[in-house]
Amino acid sequence: MSIAVVGVNHRTAPLEVRERFAHAPREVPASLQRVLSAGAGGGVLLSTCNRTEFYLAEPSDSTAETVWAILGERLGAGRNASEYGYFQRDRAAVRHLYRVSAGLDSMILGESQIQGQVREAWEASRPQAGPVLHRLFQSALLVGARVRSETALGSGAASAPSAAVALADKIFSRLAGRSALVLGAGDMAELAAGCLVSEGVRVTLVANRSYERARAIAEQLGARALTLDEAWEHFATADIVLSSTAAPHAVVTWERVAPAIGRRGGRPLCILDLAVPRDVEPAVGQLENVFLYDIDDLQAVAAHAAAERHQEVPAAERIVSDEVERFWAWYGGLAVVPVLKEFRGRLDDVRAAELERALKRLPHLSPEDRAQVEQFSHALLNKFLHPPTIALKQAAQAGRGYGLLESLKKLFGLERPDGS
Amino acid sequence: MVLVPHLLALGLYGLATALALAPFAGLRPAPRALTLGAPLSGATAHVVGVAQVTPVGVAPVLSILALFLVLLQIVSERVFRASAVALFTGPLATGLVGLALLIGLGPGAAPSGGGNAWFILHVTLSVLGLALLALAFITAALYLLQFRELKSKRFGQVFRLFPPLERLDRLNHVALVAGFPALTLGVLLALGYAVRYAGGMHVDPAQIVWGSFTWVVLGSAVWMRVVRHWAGRRAAFASIAGFVAVVLVYLALKLAEPGTQRFL
Repeated sequence: MSIAVVGVNHRTAPLEVRERFAHAPREVPASLQRVLSAGAGGGVLLSTCNRTEFYLAEPSDSTAETVWAILGERLGAGRNASEYGYFQRDRAAVRHLYRVSAGLDSMILGESQIQGQVREAWEASRPQAGPVLHRLFQSALLVGARVRSETALGSGAASAPSAAVALADKIFSRLAGRSALVLGAGDMAELAAGCLVSEGVRVTLVANRSYERARAIAEQLGARALTLDEAWEHFATADIVLSSTAAPHAVVTWERVAPAIGRRGGRPLCILDLAVPRDVEPAVGQLENVFLYDIDDLQAVAAHAAAERHQEVPAAERIVSDEVERFWAWYGGLAVVPVLKEFRGRLDDVRAAELERALKRLPHLSPEDRAQVEQFSHALLNKFLHPPTIALKQAAQAGRGYGLLESLKKLFGLERPDGS
Repeated sequence: MVLVPHLLALGLYGLATALALAPFAGLRPAPRALTLGAPLSGATAHVVGVAQVTPVGVAPVLSILALFLVLLQIVSERVFRASAVALFTGPLATGLVGLALLIGLGPGAAPSGGGNAWFILHVTLSVLGLALLALAFITAALYLLQFRELKSKRFGQVFRLFPPLERLDRLNHVALVAGFPALTLGVLLALGYAVRYAGGMHVDPAQIVWGSFTWVVLGSAVWMRVVRHWAGRRAAFASIAGFVAVVLVYLALKLAEPGTQRFL
């Protein structure tokens, strides 16, 4: 009876290895099936860009090897996948999942996306998860929610793209429905645009020096493509401008955009300049109701939030520890019930057999006396069983039932021939 | 028992103020249930206290003004998620209740000339208008502070804890637009009361001057926002200037007519 996690994450494997291990949703059932065939009572595969982890209930000794074999096949050239990974059992495995769900094990401390990914992994693996992992993942989601509500681990914007959203969010009361103009086709602008779109911002225009490139990105975002020279007019209407061109000098100058900004009627304009070197002349930021931020500003917001999140780690770890103990008590209790039932059944069989033998040797006893003797045998058995039953239940509730249970099984021969 | 509910309200407003200020002292923000619960409990006790006083004289009016400020703070937090309003309303309400207690609160006498309900309605609406003007001032101040933080790229506690600019601007707009009809009705009731019950004889000129001035200031602010479509920083400066003018005129009249009773 045990729980294990076998896998790799961003701390143990570089990106080029992690991207090979990553499983698309359609690949999950087949890999899990292979692992379960090697011997496990249940399995869940959590695969994100930062981790690929197999959570296993009651794994056999060879299960971990099967996992490394599956991952090794993806590395190719006879490379050993276990060099990049880890294997944890029981409490350590439960703690690991809880830390993952809480965002304590994330690349960006406290990020919330992982909780959705844990939920998706659990749902995708549900037919193969089994009752223990079902309960484990359910509790992991609750732990994640508890950490986020009781600590400030998820507060603030701890990455540059989310800092862009946080800044825009401090200007506009609702981001949903706002219009954004994207200048350039840099990766950072695309990332930040993705973050804004997820908040309900509509990217309406994409402008680039190369019209073709602008059109390619505009199609992805459902926007209209423009050349850069056509974009300046739209500073009069857009709420947010995301700029990330590859120009070697500032392309958004005061002369180009000030007349359009003057026609805004005092409405605020948020300009996020994500390019290095900067695209937007600092003088543009001096215009009334224009809020201009460059990549350093975004990183300053992110660093501030990250520092605050780090202060919350001890509180979050305390919640994780409490919840690990709570889960382990449940898990210990789960194992105690069938063993106790088996234990009592065995002893009761012995009692019944000995009683029958004794009564055969005492044929002169009246029915009342026979009943008395039978009652005596029941009472004696109960008296004997009471202390170990209570001790086992208490140990299970305290999360220490596992060792006692194993001793009991060995001492009274309660293990079945198949080892279950 | 006027004193006990007022003392209870004073304590709870003080607690609400401390909770609002705590994050600026580097402490963890209190749970929302507590930041809403403390002023709400204080306001409940305060309502019990205010219900037992006749709104004649400075002390009861200060107490009612404090109550309205706290109620507006709760509404701002619930509806506009503008908990930073408590940074101003908390100390202000605590100070006003403390001042009212120092001046002396008591059951008081009914207004001379009868028309108690009419008079109470006049005071209630006028003070509500004044409280909304104060809320407009508070939101304008918060707007300007957040604006400065955003422009100067300081991402400290103000940036984190203050609401977005647009929300503060909207709250300022709502406060002014709601305050004007309340004060207008309050002024009209005062005129009606003076003609019907007091014969237009016993109202202090200072009170008429101040009431009319406040009404003109609030009306101008609403005109600027609604008709001239002022918004943002310009509207915030106008709100602050208006409120400061109302307070200064009050102080000037108080100095000029120190013995004036009733409201002043």
